[in-house]
Amino acid sequence: MNTTAARLRAALAPAAREPDKARPRRARRLRLERATLVRFALSWPFPLALLLTWYLASAFEWLPPQILPPPAMVVSTFVELVQSGELGDNLWISLWRVLVGFAAGGAAGLALGIAMGLSPRIRDYLYPSFRLVAQVPSVGWLPLLMMLVGIGEALKIILIAKAAGMPIAMNTYKGLEGVSTRFIEVARVYRFTRWQLLTKVVLPAAFPQIWNGIRYGLTHAWLALVAVELLASSEGLGFLIVYGRQLYQLDVVMAAVAVVGAFGYALDKLLALIEARLLRWRRDGF
Amino acid sequence: MTTVVTTLELRRILRGATLPALLLAWWWAMFHFHWTDTVMFVPIAKVWDTAVRMSSSGQLWISLGASLARDLAGFTLGSLVGLAAGTALGLSRLLENLVGPSLHTVKQVSLFAWIPLISVWFGLGDTAKVVFLSLAAFFPVLLNTFEGIRSVPRELIEVARSFAFTRSQMLLRVVLPAALPSIFTGIHLALIYAWLATLGAEYLLTSGIGIGNLLTDGREHLWMDQVLLGVAVVGLVGFALNLVAGAIERHLLRWRGGSAGQY
Amino acid sequence: MAHAGTLEISNLSKQYRVQGSTLPVLDNISLSIRPGEFISIVGASGCGKSTLLRLVIGLENDYQGEILLDGKRIVGTSLERGIVFQEHRLFPWLTVEQNVSLGLLNADLPEAEKRKSVQEHIELVGLKGFETAHPYQLSGGMSQRVAIARALVNRPEVLLLDEPFGALDALTRNHLQQELQRIWEQEGITAILVTHDVDEAVYLGDRVVIMEPRPGRIKRIVDVPLARPRDRGSYAFAAIKDDVLAEFADKPQAELAPPPPAPSFSDWQFSW
Repeated sequence: MNTTAARLRAALAPAAREPDKARPRRARRLRLERATLVRFALSWPFPLALLLTWYLASAFEWLPPQILPPPAMVVSTFVELVQSGELGDNLWISLWRVLVGFAAGGAAGLALGIAMGLSPRIRDYLYPSFRLVAQVPSVGWLPLLMMLVGIGEALKIILIAKAAGMPIAMNTYKGLEGVSTRFIEVARVYRFTRWQLLTKVVLPAAFPQIWNGIRYGLTHAWLALVAVELLASSEGLGFLIVYGRQLYQLDVVMAAVAVVGAFGYALDKLLALIEARLLRWRRDGF
Repeated sequence: MTTVVTTLELRRILRGATLPALLLAWWWAMFHFHWTDTVMFVPIAKVWDTAVRMSSSGQLWISLGASLARDLAGFTLGSLVGLAAGTALGLSRLLENLVGPSLHTVKQVSLFAWIPLISVWFGLGDTAKVVFLSLAAFFPVLLNTFEGIRSVPRELIEVARSFAFTRSQMLLRVVLPAALPSIFTGIHLALIYAWLATLGAEYLLTSGIGIGNLLTDGREHLWMDQVLLGVAVVGLVGFALNLVAGAIERHLLRWRGGSAGQY
Repeated sequence: MAHAGTLEISNLSKQYRVQGSTLPVLDNISLSIRPGEFISIVGASGCGKSTLLRLVIGLENDYQGEILLDGKRIVGTSLERGIVFQEHRLFPWLTVEQNVSLGLLNADLPEAEKRKSVQEHIELVGLKGFETAHPYQLSGGMSQRVAIARALVNRPEVLLLDEPFGALDALTRNHLQQELQRIWEQEGITAILVTHDVDEAVYLGDRVVIMEPRPGRIKRIVDVPLARPRDRGSYAFAAIKDDVLAEFADKPQAELAPPPPAPSFSDWQFSW
């Protein structure tokens, strides 16, 4: 709150005092700050209006509290869940599953994609089967997997790994396949060794698409996690959601949904930050 | 000349078939040599028999039809709303600043997490499923439409301005056609997501019939043949949807020719 | 034949505001263009010649001074002023015929007349038979010819051309210069061509306006009293060309281009 007020003061006061010519650089920064502030301010009316409607709807009981709990209750339930450790425990389990599954699937997907991308022979053997498996979305494999491996941890990890690995493998393969022959020709003119070709030309050129696959992989990992936890789990965020739903405690459900969203966002943002660092200085190379 | 080409292609086909063939062989061997005694593993022939049985009894087609009907309904609804919203947000900076951040926040929540809430508000039947499917289709279309409209080349807008185009002419004759490739990408993605959402919805909102219900049913009764059949059908439908979407896209965007983006 | 307009530019000045400071682009430009005249404007990069064109066509409106067409102040864009850009800017999803028809979308003519005009102009630029082709099927030169047809189809009073052949190879450029000259003579409209190719400027123009940069000013105006079609190899042609080139004797300094003003969508986006 303090920072916002301070920023507002800084943004408004000096502009009113000094003439345009005197300090152009300051005016430039102020203009930029003002634009961002305006955007920030504009983003609030809509959600606040929704919040108000929600509050009124529950205060006047337009819908029974089992269907629409008051916002205050959701907040207090959230606090309760945090304090009791229930949220933390379930969150940790879900995060662990996502990360392990994503890492396993990612590694396998990268390996498969690189193998198919670099070796036409391996591609011939594996790609058709890969495409066949890819036709069925991960959720489609769930019942079969449940029959084969039961409903323990293995099910979750395998499903998440598969969900993450498919787009990673596909994008890695396509990215490698799609490296422009123009770059390869330059490498040939300068007589690069195979290793140099791979590390200095092919992988950097394919990197944007590979990274795309990685981001898709994370999204699909979350999708699979939530699906499997809703269906066949006794812990985790998904379980929390189902549990709240069974007991018609929608406040619990909403709190859990919010956490799912928040952490999904956080992980994706992390990837975006990594991408910004890696990709930018690599992109300059072109 | 032709013989050489055919040999190369033949080699490719044979290589590609190796893995599936090995899998089938192992499956057959499992049975033939009784390597396992679980009731779960069924001979391939049984899957085929089940397919024929369910097909002729109509059960397969009814389930498939129900799933597809819901899929199409949700997909259409979600896409239309997404198209309208994407266009509105693309055209108006004000609207984008007002509503954009909220939409972006809601988008962060993994799709299936919404089902329990939806089940409370809309029940366990078709309505809830269609609502969920619309949600699944909405976001890809919204985002890609928005992106497409924002990326309309300024150069083309200037040409239209030099011909004194009115606002509606600008929107209908320049902005929307130029954004069409992006819009189609969104629609294609929406189709994919809607289909997998259909399945998830059928697992979790269990009242009603559909391919997902077939799968759940098979799993509960440990009927491997039914489950395998379900998986195959899911794959085929996904494949068919992709094919149709691709064909429509190619036809409507045939003006792209080789190099897109030249103006 | 289209009615040729009289263009009067008086004391035209323009500045850009870039990151807090003011960048003067045009400084006190005055030019009288007679109806049916062909004016070539040459100058190095950064002399504001494209900006001048954009002001006349009405794509930019923030300036000091006056621009009068047939005595009336111009306001925004209008069908009376046509423009051909350096990129052909054809709509990729339309055929040649449909692209040319765009120019007539808001014209007050019966359908039959519109179709006739479209067909005439496609023939005028020598593309008869290509009516149903899409832009991706055309070469650069052909696309630019379609752009010219599109700009002329509603018979504007003034045709502006902003380095129209800059993106084409030398052979096509030469050919299209001859085509443009033929078309201009046939249509009889006023034309303003902006180019950095002195040869092109002298070949096509009745007068060559030489501009110098930072800020953009008119340095000199050279008359080209030669009969058309002009012989690029003739002594008189070479003399005039040398005369113009002499104005650019100082070697152009290599400089980083100033950052272009950020394009704003507020031009055409709805503001609700």
